Amino acid sequence: MRRDTGCHRIDHALSRRGFLAGTAAGAAAMGGVLTPAQADQLQSGQKRLLQVFLQGGFSQFETFDPKPGTKYGGPFRQIETSVPGMMICELLPHMATRMHKLSIIRSINLRTNDHGKGRLFMEKGRNVGEFPYVGSVAAKYLAPPNPTLPTYLHITTRGLSDNTNAFLEAQHAQMKLPGTKAPDNLARPDKLTVEAARRRADFRAQLNERFSGGKGQSAFTETFDSSFEMAERLMSQKGLLEAEPSGKDLERYGSHPFGRRCVLARNLLQNGATVVKVTHHGYDTHAENFNFHLEQLGEFDQTFCMLLDDIEATGMLDSTLIMVYSEFGRTPKINQRYGRDHWGASVSMALGGAGIKPGVTVGATNKEGTEVSDREVDAGHLFHTYFSALGIDPTADHNVPGKSIPIGDPAKSSIKELLV
Amino acid sequence: MSNRPAPPPLPDDPIDVKQSHVVAEFQHDVALTTCRLDPQARFAFAGAEDFNVYRWSVDGGNESKTVFSGHESWVRCLDFSPDGERLYTAGYDDRIGVWDTAAAKPKPLEMIEAHKGWVRWVKVNRDGTRLVSCGNDNLIKLWSLPDGKLIQEFRGHERHPYAVLFHPDEQRLASFDLMGNIKEWDIASGKELRSFEAKFMWGFDQKFRADMGGARDMIFSEDGKTLIVAGLTNVTNAFAGVHNPMILLFNWENFEPQHKLTDASYKGMSWGVRTHPEGFLAAVGAPQGGSKGAIWFWKPGEEKPFHTVTLSHCGRGLDMTADGRRIAVAQFDGLLKIYQLTRKS
Amino acid sequence: MSPRRSLFPALLFVGFLTATLQADTRPAPPPLPESQAAVKRVEPPLHPQIDQLIEAATPNFRKIAAPLCSDAEFFRRAHLDLTGSVPTGEETRAFLADQTPTQEKRAALIELLLASPRYARRMQYVLDEMIMERRAGSNVPDAEWQNWLRSSIRENRRWDAVVAEILAADGAEDAKRPAAKFYLDRDFEVDVVTRDVGRIFLGVDLECAQCHDHPSIDGYLQRHYYGISAFLKRSYVFTDAKSKKKMLGEKAEGDVKFTSVFTSVEGMTNPRLLDLPQIPDPDGVERAYLVKPESKARGIPQYSRRLQLPLSMISDENVDFRRNIVNRLWAVMMGRGLVEPLDVRHADNPATHPEVLSLLADELLRHEYDVRWLIRELALTKTYQRGRAAGDSNDEAHSYAGAYLKALSPEQLAWSVMDVTGVSTQTLAAKKAELLKKDPKSGEAKTADPLWQEETLHDALKANVDQFVTTFAGQGGQKTGFDSSADQALFLLNGALIQKWLVPANGNLTDRLRKLEASAEFAEELYMSVLNRAPGDEEVAAVTSYLEAVSDRDAATQELTWALMTSAEFRFNH
Repeated sequence: MRRDTGCHRIDHALSRRGFLAGTAAGAAAMGGVLTPAQADQLQSGQKRLLQVFLQGGFSQFETFDPKPGTKYGGPFRQIETSVPGMMICELLPHMATRMHKLSIIRSINLRTNDHGKGRLFMEKGRNVGEFPYVGSVAAKYLAPPNPTLPTYLHITTRGLSDNTNAFLEAQHAQMKLPGTKAPDNLARPDKLTVEAARRRADFRAQLNERFSGGKGQSAFTETFDSSFEMAERLMSQKGLLEAEPSGKDLERYGSHPFGRRCVLARNLLQNGATVVKVTHHGYDTHAENFNFHLEQLGEFDQTFCMLLDDIEATGMLDSTLIMVYSEFGRTPKINQRYGRDHWGASVSMALGGAGIKPGVTVGATNKEGTEVSDREVDAGHLFHTYFSALGIDPTADHNVPGKSIPIGDPAKSSIKELLV
Repeated sequence: MSNRPAPPPLPDDPIDVKQSHVVAEFQHDVALTTCRLDPQARFAFAGAEDFNVYRWSVDGGNESKTVFSGHESWVRCLDFSPDGERLYTAGYDDRIGVWDTAAAKPKPLEMIEAHKGWVRWVKVNRDGTRLVSCGNDNLIKLWSLPDGKLIQEFRGHERHPYAVLFHPDEQRLASFDLMGNIKEWDIASGKELRSFEAKFMWGFDQKFRADMGGARDMIFSEDGKTLIVAGLTNVTNAFAGVHNPMILLFNWENFEPQHKLTDASYKGMSWGVRTHPEGFLAAVGAPQGGSKGAIWFWKPGEEKPFHTVTLSHCGRGLDMTADGRRIAVAQFDGLLKIYQLTRKS
Repeated sequence: MSPRRSLFPALLFVGFLTATLQADTRPAPPPLPESQAAVKRVEPPLHPQIDQLIEAATPNFRKIAAPLCSDAEFFRRAHLDLTGSVPTGEETRAFLADQTPTQEKRAALIELLLASPRYARRMQYVLDEMIMERRAGSNVPDAEWQNWLRSSIRENRRWDAVVAEILAADGAEDAKRPAAKFYLDRDFEVDVVTRDVGRIFLGVDLECAQCHDHPSIDGYLQRHYYGISAFLKRSYVFTDAKSKKKMLGEKAEGDVKFTSVFTSVEGMTNPRLLDLPQIPDPDGVERAYLVKPESKARGIPQYSRRLQLPLSMISDENVDFRRNIVNRLWAVMMGRGLVEPLDVRHADNPATHPEVLSLLADELLRHEYDVRWLIRELALTKTYQRGRAAGDSNDEAHSYAGAYLKALSPEQLAWSVMDVTGVSTQTLAAKKAELLKKDPKSGEAKTADPLWQEETLHDALKANVDQFVTTFAGQGGQKTGFDSSADQALFLLNGALIQKWLVPANGNLTDRLRKLEASAEFAEELYMSVLNRAPGDEEVAAVTSYLEAVSDRDAATQELTWALMTSAEFRFNH
């Protein structure tokens, strides 16, 4: 199995020599560490990230890179979009009228057909090693000084518990919300009054102060206290988290689970969330690829566009980076079950919002869609692009004491034609 | 099934399914989606994944291959006027194609913009005056022939109807959707008369969150007493295609299932079914993986087929001559084969 | 070369391997000359040697080193590390009141705890996480695997024998199936198993080296990755037609070649562990089978490459094997590995105290891989018994001048909460009563048996432990450090389980507490039971204020107990 050759693991940086070099000298060579001033700047111009993950590997043929009438094109046609010359599959009619707010990339080569590897590469921007996900990195550098919500919320029901924050602080790990129901244990126990809850929490805080006071390893107690802080934030947003979508919202977004999750995503973003990720199942269509993409994209198209519209309507589009992506694409060849199988060699995604030039098509695949023919990029380049767009220098080192780890893979760079 | 002149029986060459053998084989280079024989059994037709429909002369060789080009997407259902003059094609380009069946250089006589979304099925009635279609707009539409005018719309399916037929009494329609809903309609009023949920021919995959089901083929028995549906059952993994084939025999009078023919050891589904004049069924199967397609010969009510012919690949469609002496089978590897259901002469 | 590496005929070879593993003892070394034997008898114990090396590694160590921890701290710490739960208030008072000199007292405690059935359970949890990394997998049921692990620990089986059994397992025989969980519940995906053999048993993560020599880690070469893979590549998962169970079969052919994506240079390797010699196949065994692989029969080759893996792994020459396990056990006891991360040992990431690592590895070999001995020696060190560091003196240099905080594992947390609140006591009492009723004759003896008590209590409360594991378990395998999520905090804040256990009833902790009139007595019982120490004056005052401010004594009792039980002091082992 071939892998990307840009191999930069945490252990490179953890080498004892590198360890000690992870100071000014080392940092300068890598592009500097984010200074508190830079961080402040980011925080005052509050930005946020919305990720819509279409799980399973959506078909580029049936979405952003249609090849109608060709050998592998399948039965669907392409339609015009609000961007002259940019054609997408007929299964996305609502998106088609909004493509002037988004851009697409058609030339992603992930060099893997494996769900796990593809997903991790798309999330970490590196295909080996323990690195934080896009969401955790964005959470860390975009979160305001006193967030009212956990900084990285992932609205999904699936069990994958990923180590999303790697070496970043625990508070920037993804917090999973089922979306169609609120997290467990949000409610204060029946017999516990508000007053009782407060006084016992105060007493506990005093205990912790005495325990950590002046002694080593305060980081542990900080992390522990931070999690209680997060919990309190969630409890204070109980209403938001447990709210039933209005009739109007259900009509626009759809009453299916994905619709409900996107309503919650919108509410969270509008109420101070920094990073929100919503997952839509499922696109791994080894059988009945066309029927299933009809169904899934039918759900996705309108719902996503309502979310996009609402973000724009509240003036947040310029400050919210929006990603529509998957772990890979699907094979040109249509199998005997009318399905398409895994395909990492030419993958598409959509990107828009903060710092992204809209209406751009990056790259191309050949006539039959069997390989990238122009401007090949991978998840490492995309990773750089997201953060450049958000105003975070991906060549800088992470702001993590004692470690010298660049935010983006040093072997990659931003896709400049996407950046404003 | 439409009116076909029944040929005289040949007493010294009786039907003997166990001796079925290929009498003609036609090759296309793209996967086939369906196949039909015209009422006079002059021609064998097949839809293919290259948007075209192909015609061969049953008694011709591969050189008789003729392209019917005009649709801008797949065709998965064909039907004919009772006299065999006209061919009607249901296209995934939202259109119904009208063709001269025997044309030397076929061109669409008409392309009717029929549905908003795939036209999944077309069926012509007994006297050739009406055509019924269903599509991804969840509608059933009734058209007059030969003018192609829309007469009636039938609303009620909430998910894609996959197949629709005229009941032999010509007063009612039968339809079957993705979710296993069987509906009966009154043609005159356009109203839904009866509905039955054949949930066993549908599954919702919890993991991938998608519905799987639908009639992949559907016919009425000659007497109109039984609706026969080919499809699937026991969906355990919709996205990997893990399910079993099923032929449902549905008692139309009582409006309930009569027989559910299935094979729990065969992973896959059935794409075609016909009734034989001698009373048994012939159905074609597509395996989930591998190439062992099948033709099952089954007596209704029995647990297992009484004979199975293994195909060289996934079966995609099946049709039968009116006299039941021959069947046509379309395969995923582009092969269209004609089997004779007698001993080799 | 060890005799096991010679070229035996296949049958004899397999039999020899089986016999070796079952024997669990090394062939006796040749008798020593008198004088050496005499020298051997007066060898110093290990633990002072460790302390000397720790002290020598850091200038000014004596100045910066924290004093040894108090008896109270030690009592709690040792209980958590060796039995997986905190002691009772009663036990704590008794230990503190005991006038025996400290060193003797602590040594005796260590012996007592190591002999307890709870030690085996504690190490079962630790080794299960280390080896199976909380993977879900049902080819080998969890209970069977865990029981096998636990009895291996209880019998103090040699660690090398335990690992050899795991790496030799094929799951074909039911009796030997538990050990096959390592392979089978990774679905024997060769890449995953190759990497995990390196990480879990050798302390090296060779993932990058699958494609090329590691660009900056000189010690990780592509041939290292494929050397391990070569042991495994011929094996495959076979499903028994009758039992439907998955097990391993093996082919008698197949070589491992690799190409660097950097240099395009091709390489080939026989099975070999890292830099140990290659193990070429003997002559004449290619395509030679005892049982030919077929759809109905799992392949058994005359010569098994996979069976070479356990032999090579536990061979005396394989220093990395010993270094890895002592590093991991050191991490369990001390809160941080000598090499960190635990699976990234290489020349540019060496141990913080290489001499200590070497000493531990050598001594483990000399003591025949006796894990209990090593744990004992570690517990006896001053290093282990040090008090917490003052300020941040520990953070950068890792000098062990003060003890590291260790987060309680999900299992430690579960048991500690249940023990402290009284759930365990009440459950055990109920189970005892049940058994006595059913079997009055031998019931007394049975219920007095500590092993019966531990097993019974575990089985009765396992579902609760599982809930804690679901909520608190981190991703992947053995790790030091601490991560905490809002979900976990919500569980502690509002979870019904904890709230239920705090309700005063039937003589449980809060029931006892609320009956104590005097707030000083209350505070003492509270702190002793929950935190295993006496409260300071300020703390007594704080409790007193709380009790005076809150009129509802029941509520106040539950709240104070909750606060202590969810405090950092409880959450961490310190």
